[in-house]
Amino acid sequence: MKLSCLQENLSRGLGIVGRAVATRTTLPITNNVLLATDGGRLKLSATNLEIAITCWIGAKVEEEGTTTVPARLLTDLVSSLPNERMDLSQPLRSHTIHLACGRNEAKITGQAAADFPPIPTIGEGVAIPVGGDALHTAIDQVAFAAATDESRPVLTGVQASFEGSTVTLAAADGFRLSVHKLALDQPVAEKVAVIIPARSLQELNRLLDGQEEPVQVTVNAARSQALFKLKNAEMVSQLVQGTFPNYGQLIPQSSQSRAVVNRAEFLRATKAAAIFARDGSGIIRLQVTPAGELGPGKLAVSARAEELGENLGELDAAVTGEAGKIAFNAKYLTEVLSVLDSEQVALETTSPTSPGVIRPVGVDNFVHVVMPMFVQW
Amino acid sequence: MPRQIFHLDLDAFFVSVEQALNPSLKGKPVVVGGQPSSRGVVACASYEARALGVRTAMPLAQAQRLCPQAVFLPGQFARYQEATEGFMAILRNYTPQVQPGGNDEAFLDLTGFEPLYGPARQTAQTIKGRIQKELGLTASVGIATSKVVSKVASDLEKPDGLVEVAPGQEASFLAPLAVGRLPMVGPRTEQALGRWGIATVGQLASLPLSSLQSYFGKAGFTLYHFARGIDASPVISETAPAKSISRSTTFPQDLWDRRLLKAALYYLSERVGAQLRREGQAARCVTLKVRYEDFLTIGRSRTLRQPSDAHQAFFAAAWPLLEQALERRRSVRLVGIGVSRLTEGEHQALLWPDPGERVRHLNQAVDSMRQRYGFTALRAGLTLPLSQLYPEDQGGLVLQTPCLSR
Repeated sequence: MKLSCLQENLSRGLGIVGRAVATRTTLPITNNVLLATDGGRLKLSATNLEIAITCWIGAKVEEEGTTTVPARLLTDLVSSLPNERMDLSQPLRSHTIHLACGRNEAKITGQAAADFPPIPTIGEGVAIPVGGDALHTAIDQVAFAAATDESRPVLTGVQASFEGSTVTLAAADGFRLSVHKLALDQPVAEKVAVIIPARSLQELNRLLDGQEEPVQVTVNAARSQALFKLKNAEMVSQLVQGTFPNYGQLIPQSSQSRAVVNRAEFLRATKAAAIFARDGSGIIRLQVTPAGELGPGKLAVSARAEELGENLGELDAAVTGEAGKIAFNAKYLTEVLSVLDSEQVALETTSPTSPGVIRPVGVDNFVHVVMPMFVQW
Repeated sequence: MPRQIFHLDLDAFFVSVEQALNPSLKGKPVVVGGQPSSRGVVACASYEARALGVRTAMPLAQAQRLCPQAVFLPGQFARYQEATEGFMAILRNYTPQVQPGGNDEAFLDLTGFEPLYGPARQTAQTIKGRIQKELGLTASVGIATSKVVSKVASDLEKPDGLVEVAPGQEASFLAPLAVGRLPMVGPRTEQALGRWGIATVGQLASLPLSSLQSYFGKAGFTLYHFARGIDASPVISETAPAKSISRSTTFPQDLWDRRLLKAALYYLSERVGAQLRREGQAARCVTLKVRYEDFLTIGRSRTLRQPSDAHQAFFAAAWPLLEQALERRRSVRLVGIGVSRLTEGEHQALLWPDPGERVRHLNQAVDSMRQRYGFTALRAGLTLPLSQLYPEDQGGLVLQTPCLSR
């Protein structure tokens, strides 16, 4: 292998695939990054066996070749070098790469590429194009609601179900449910529903940063892996096997009380109350009062901490229906309000013991269900 | 107004109780812990034995080599428990603010009591007199403006000591003392400080906060203040609402049998769960306590994902901790389980039917049955092996050396 490329490009490429490099692993070679010439480009790949990320950078290739070197070492080295031309070479039948940049020369001992776990390729299957920006938002609004503990593996994933001209992303950890519908540019021929690990989608979101072009999503025939193809990078993720809960019935169809408030104000009031909720079980109490003789409708956000004190924040609310009260875990409320971007949100409740619903106002593509906390009022 | 904190420490506690029960032992070297032929360690030694080099936690065989004429006693923990209760009861006569620290010591906050009881020194004499008269024990007392200084002071003139540190004199009182006298400073810390040439508290007080923090982390902050006699921590009495519930027991003999240990842990979990449910509370944190045969005592905690009042959940969290603790390959003298971070039963609802619901109904049914027919009317299968250790009555198993305190 013999090639040259720009330090800047190599550094960026290593940053992209670095997220897939294994950290704690029983297979030491997965700490490495795979370097391979590919046409007129240099291909970088890394995998932790759950996801694999590959990206391509421009290079002038003089001699084809492939090898693996410790990812951390190479990344740290390259990022410390000046932004100049870099020459990479690898003597025949050796796993050591020579790296020259400016007046700096380094040798890095690697391992044979043949020992590197194969990066899955998904040839068959239909590639479904999904808008990059829109997908980014959808992942933001759904993935956080997935479970982090592994006791029910399907809940650590996000269900993506492609049907007609929409894809619906849904995640639920047992206490809350987040659902986002996303329009597809072209309808899919057959219905496909898979569960993608939330962690993989969060990695995908890092790759999507700043990419507006559509992402090509392909699921293999066995429904065990999905490929996300971006402009200069690809990610393959293992899929979670199992049956995702049928969440449709968990979304309340009606409510006794609906309060429309400014989202940023609601979030601010929630964060202020959360400071007081920290000591207890994170309980935040919400009280909705309809407009009346005493004034406009309002939403009161409060929390109290034994021996510490209490906090009450009020915001104007356009209330339809009756007065209502409900208590939520501060973390759940903060998280959903943080990922929404609409100016206003609606809080729909029926009773202190039935699920609460939060929807953005003005768009009809998102719904979030939070289970209340049972408290003494 | 400066605070007035008393620290009372019973002298050679176990031995003194034995001597009070059997006056012929007075003035003799006495060692509580077992026969020197057994593999146990010294739980407590009289001052006569200490003079010959016998120390707490030393193997009994070694104690006998140092002091062959000593009287070796197996210990009567139920008696010690009674003495502890008597001791605390006397202290509570003087103030409700009593913070027990183990079996044989306690902090008292007597701030503002001078008009009522007279000078602090006199009050201390009165309390000491009552302990002597009613329990036949001697106590050493330290009086100061903070917990840390009063504790150091009580230790200074043992046995039967009484040391008062006047307000403002804390730092100069501590300065000439060896650093090892400070509660925070164990052998390891003492060694580390020794390497810097720090032998006295005064020398410790000359170190800047930043060096102590960089070397000892959080503990450095405490050390810095302790060295100056500064300790704002309040005396926390037990009359405050319960912040935790725990049950523990010392076994009639040290145990290694996993089946029995598991049974005991399950039984204690049941007792904790029942108490918690009676109070209508739930807990977020489970703590396992183990005391090994050599008196090393450890506590290990786990936080539950959801607050719970189910003993099944407590046991499930504590048993793996006990299994881990058994890796030390020593017999167990005491096992205990406690729950803390209590909530008033508020809990997070679930999106789908709660699998914990069945357990809640089960526990409710068992609780009500036990309330009517006694705790042992229903026994968990896991706890049946305990019958070979303990008799049972209506109230439950009669644990021989119970410490069914909060």
